[in-house]
Amino acid sequence: MADDTRKKTTTKAVATVTLTIDGKSITVPKGTTVLEAALQNGIHIPTFCWHPKLKSVGACRMCYVEIEKMAKLQVSCATEAVEGMVVHTDSDNVKQGRRAIIEFILLNHPLDCPTCDKGGECDLQNLTFEHGYDDSRFDFRKSRFVDEGSTSTFDDVRIGPEIVLNRNRCILCYKCVRANKEAFGEYDLGAYERGNITQINSAPGEKVDNPFSGNLVEICPVGALTNSDWRYKIRVWLTKTTPSLCNFTSSGTNTLFYKEDHQNKIFRTTSRRNDDIDDGWLPDVTRYGYQIVNSPDRLRVPLIKKEGKQVEATWDEALDLIHKHFTEISDKMGSVCIGGLASPSLDNKSLYAFSKFFRTVLNSNNVDFRSDYRMLPPDAETVFSRLCSRPFKIADIDDSDVVFVFGSDLLREHPNEYLRMRKACNFNNARVFVVNPYATKAADIAALEAVYKVGSDEQAINGICLAAIDDNLVSGPKAKALAEKLSPLTLPETSKACGITVDDLRILARALAESRKISFMCGEIVTRSKERETITTAVSNLNLLFGLENKGQVASLARYANSGGACKLGVQPSPAPAVKDKLKEIWGGYPECEPHNTDSMLALMKKEEVAGFFVIGANPIMLHPDRQFVREGLEKLDFLVACDLFESETTEIADVVLPLCSWAEYDGEYVNLEGRSQRAERAVKPMFESRPGCEIIKLITAKYEKSLGEDEQLTSEIQQLLDLDSALPLPTEFMAVKVVVEDKQDEGFEIPLFVTDDPHHCGHLTEKSPSLTSFADDAYLEIGPDLAERLKLKEGDNVRVESPVGKVIVPARISEHIENDVVLIPRNFSSTPITSLLMRKKRIDRVTLSKVDS
Amino acid sequence: MFYSPVITNGSEAAASDKLHLFKYVEDSEQYKLMTFESHGGYKAWKKVLTEMQPQQVIDEVKNSGLRGRGGAGFPTGMKWGFVPKDSSKPRYLCCNADESEPGTCKDRVLMERDPHGVIEGMAIGAYAIGCHTMFIYIRGEFNHCIDRMEQAVEEAYAKGHLGKNIHGSGYDLDMIVHTGGGAYICGEETALLNSLEGERGMSRIRPPFPAIEGLYACPTIVNNVESLAAVPHIINRGAEWYRTLGTEKSAGTKLFSLSGHVKRPGNYEVELGFSLKKLLYDPAYGGGILGDKKLKGVIPGGASTPFLTPEMIDVNLDYESLTAVGSMLGSGAVIVFDEDTCIVWVIQKLIQFFKHESCGKCTPCREGTGWLKQIIDRIEAGGGQPGDIEKIEEICGNILGRTICPLGDAAVMPIQSSIRLWREEWQYHIEHGKCMVKTEFPFK
Repeated sequence: MADDTRKKTTTKAVATVTLTIDGKSITVPKGTTVLEAALQNGIHIPTFCWHPKLKSVGACRMCYVEIEKMAKLQVSCATEAVEGMVVHTDSDNVKQGRRAIIEFILLNHPLDCPTCDKGGECDLQNLTFEHGYDDSRFDFRKSRFVDEGSTSTFDDVRIGPEIVLNRNRCILCYKCVRANKEAFGEYDLGAYERGNITQINSAPGEKVDNPFSGNLVEICPVGALTNSDWRYKIRVWLTKTTPSLCNFTSSGTNTLFYKEDHQNKIFRTTSRRNDDIDDGWLPDVTRYGYQIVNSPDRLRVPLIKKEGKQVEATWDEALDLIHKHFTEISDKMGSVCIGGLASPSLDNKSLYAFSKFFRTVLNSNNVDFRSDYRMLPPDAETVFSRLCSRPFKIADIDDSDVVFVFGSDLLREHPNEYLRMRKACNFNNARVFVVNPYATKAADIAALEAVYKVGSDEQAINGICLAAIDDNLVSGPKAKALAEKLSPLTLPETSKACGITVDDLRILARALAESRKISFMCGEIVTRSKERETITTAVSNLNLLFGLENKGQVASLARYANSGGACKLGVQPSPAPAVKDKLKEIWGGYPECEPHNTDSMLALMKKEEVAGFFVIGANPIMLHPDRQFVREGLEKLDFLVACDLFESETTEIADVVLPLCSWAEYDGEYVNLEGRSQRAERAVKPMFESRPGCEIIKLITAKYEKSLGEDEQLTSEIQQLLDLDSALPLPTEFMAVKVVVEDKQDEGFEIPLFVTDDPHHCGHLTEKSPSLTSFADDAYLEIGPDLAERLKLKEGDNVRVESPVGKVIVPARISEHIENDVVLIPRNFSSTPITSLLMRKKRIDRVTLSKVDS
Repeated sequence: MFYSPVITNGSEAAASDKLHLFKYVEDSEQYKLMTFESHGGYKAWKKVLTEMQPQQVIDEVKNSGLRGRGGAGFPTGMKWGFVPKDSSKPRYLCCNADESEPGTCKDRVLMERDPHGVIEGMAIGAYAIGCHTMFIYIRGEFNHCIDRMEQAVEEAYAKGHLGKNIHGSGYDLDMIVHTGGGAYICGEETALLNSLEGERGMSRIRPPFPAIEGLYACPTIVNNVESLAAVPHIINRGAEWYRTLGTEKSAGTKLFSLSGHVKRPGNYEVELGFSLKKLLYDPAYGGGILGDKKLKGVIPGGASTPFLTPEMIDVNLDYESLTAVGSMLGSGAVIVFDEDTCIVWVIQKLIQFFKHESCGKCTPCREGTGWLKQIIDRIEAGGGQPGDIEKIEEICGNILGRTICPLGDAAVMPIQSSIRLWREEWQYHIEHGKCMVKTEFPFK
């Protein structure tokens, strides 16, 4: 079995060494540094420049230790522990060395602690305190990066939309520059000048606006880097912390909220390092996304439609109205005429209650949590669903020797896994391969980035298989079996069809064949494609041909904070058979009626066969790939209920609008893309009259004079479902891949368009975070330099983007790394209705571009 | 100007059977490939390619006793032997031509006047370690060297001494001339590698040593120009011959850059073990102190080495003898000061240099050199305060041996030695706010 093999590779015997630190005998794996050995055993060694996830550079010299038989003091962060070493961390010599370092660092440090945001959590403050300096032997004027003659210590260089730099406070540990480069692969920050006038600053002509820039502030040991969201707002000791999770990405990144109870307000988010998941790095969307909780734009009270206008109402009025209308519809047309759409960012309990309400109270199977995908096969038992259910461990990316990304712009979709991939490459020499219809930011570390023709996804995979067969990289019987299935495809033809050269296909095949431990990830290009079943069939063949799962992990990654939970709890029209059986057992029954997914529910609305719709936390008008289609469907409804944090295109046309709590306002559990269940605690009281999803469902159920069960009962039912092993094996036989030729192109529309998330945003809520909008506050057209030049477009030019069904005008943004003729537009901004360009039945959206003369 | 008008002992070398680095240094055509070949150039390279295995080359250099001429004096052959034999990674050889130590100007003459000698030495070194791409990192201000080197590389390619399948041996070797950006620190080998990779020139922490993980994390050997230039001669004439030059533990010849208050400042090739006194006073070399004044002190091995007083100059110029008197051979830059030189003034100039060149990476060097400069500036300007000397000594102690690379040590060693040797002069300067000596020099 695949899982057994994995265990074997990770538990191989590790050589150890035994050393003595401060008289304590310590055994650690070979290769551990003296510093790590000490820290792991509760021995404190102070540091400034060391970071557990970066390479040691030995710059600050604070971590001196004395090692017997070595003449000089050694920096423990860069000294490997060896057998028999005797280390002293507390000798007079060590103390003297550290005091000297503190003295050196303080020479030109402004000591403006009372006005410094870092006060109370500053490494320099703490270590000065520890070493007890109360006076300075430095009798010169401190050097300052401020105007001549000024006595201020405020330097305040805004080096990015969110980050303010004070070079006077900087102690030059270089952690920010190193993290930016080593962990994030970004070069917008650097060190300039030399000696004691060295300064950290943004690269010439650039702003520090990369999607991980917030981490630089968090790891700064002093108050040199601060971000506008926290600056001068509150002293850290007045806040309390609450453990939480990221609600915008699917990794379940662990976070900590800093809140103040009297103001019922969250002040910032920092990481809560979990090496299995996030390594302590937060994408900016995770760090600044909390601001939506405090937003003054939050929906405050329930709204009901009276004479065509939404007016404020009490919860009771609103709930009565929902009960009344849903009952009318059920009585008239049957319960199957009511459908529901829940956001995959809701917690387990809300999602489960939602499904249970629909299936046990309304007796309808029309529930779904997916609003941003195209027409899908109705069947639950697909190769795609099998691929989605495969086990995946984020931490296993670290020591993979090959990381293979197929059909994904990982940085935008899975920033956390993107960082893991960089880590595998930079720290463990993994080779990265990216196969995508356009070049992505991962190009700089990729051993090979193969860009295939848009819409030839399955051919790219077939091509790799055929190259392996051609090069005799796989066993004869396998090769023969697959060749038969793929016949009459040939390597040259396939290469031509997908646009990847035969040589490149051979390199990819060889990498897969030679890999000893692989992480193979599919992303949105696959999951959102109309042809995802065909594509995943090809991937399944690939898996079988190379035996990928036997030497690693192959998965299609869940996209939202609780997509994993939604699948496990059966919040889709056709849950996996095991889930369905379990639900039947728990509930003592299961509706027999035909299930419909979001897309087919919308189609039924147009035919007036679905008349009532309950949307919770989702915004299909903004995110479903065919805006017109959704709007027409929703407008035909007899009754639409929408619950959300903010007014949206969908709440605007709803008959009842209910204010929903954010994830920070109640205790909830979320399942990340690994299937790991984690808890986010309530940090603040619900804002205004908003309520958590689960409570809303329960209140409606109560109107039906029924009950979904007490909290403990729901928890236990959820646990039973989570405990199910719902992983389905990938096919064990090769399958024919039906090569899909693109639908007829509409004349004149040639340039493929990809609609995706901005790297600083996710979904439809993050535009309510002021920090995140400071990075991007409206849609733009991302275009490669070649295409831009041909179309005579310059950075910032307004471009009319037209598809056969709609048009928008957005400014152009030229991305150097995009080399082929594709364009990208982010979908996170309500002011630009991007989905109006899309058609749900098309495999590829094509547009035409023209410059708008202003 | 076709070459720098530097005084050399080239005519002595031309007539000598022992001196080899400067044999053709006064031949204005030597930089041309034809002339170089007519003097037996590239013979050693051909010999290595056709007759010797890489290990034989390493052994020959090991046996010759050649030690690194850049300053540290590490045995060259032994260094080459550190390159892992079983690594699948490419290996690199990098010639360190970032000659920036104050007073040192020997490599410059070799590159300007005998560039092919450097290329031949590099090629042999590359062959010995199995490298197929070698670099020369030349100090950015050395425009003339860069031109000469680039021209020579072009000629060598054209004549088949570099490139693919060299002289039919099947061995491929490419050479890249890289110019520095004007930072002294890039003469430190790990900072040089960072700079070569396009990173900021800052030293790396060791281990890993470059021989294991250097340029692009591949095994890399960094050698000084002069060390490599000696290699073809060792191959041609044998390790045994080379051992007959110099002393038992310091074999071969060495270039000394003589500067300061001497009558004939210049570059001189002498056998190791040569008398410092002779180098200073012999009419064929330094020719005595300028203006026939008395000698005050000598820095024997470049700005970073401790001073010698007149009583100490009866010393032989080799690694061991200089260590025995508390100084170092270093890069061979002999800087001479006459009796009218104020030691505080000298140290001020030196600390100004090291403060300016500190890369800014590690705390003691970055902050310490800045602080030292402030205190010494104040003393020199007449504002010295009681306790300054002790403070300087303590700061020096907090830098020495506590930094990533030797720049920190280099900055403080001359200061410490000057205080040790001329403490009363420092004291005088602080108490009286002026120099104890006359301080009249032509170049103040």
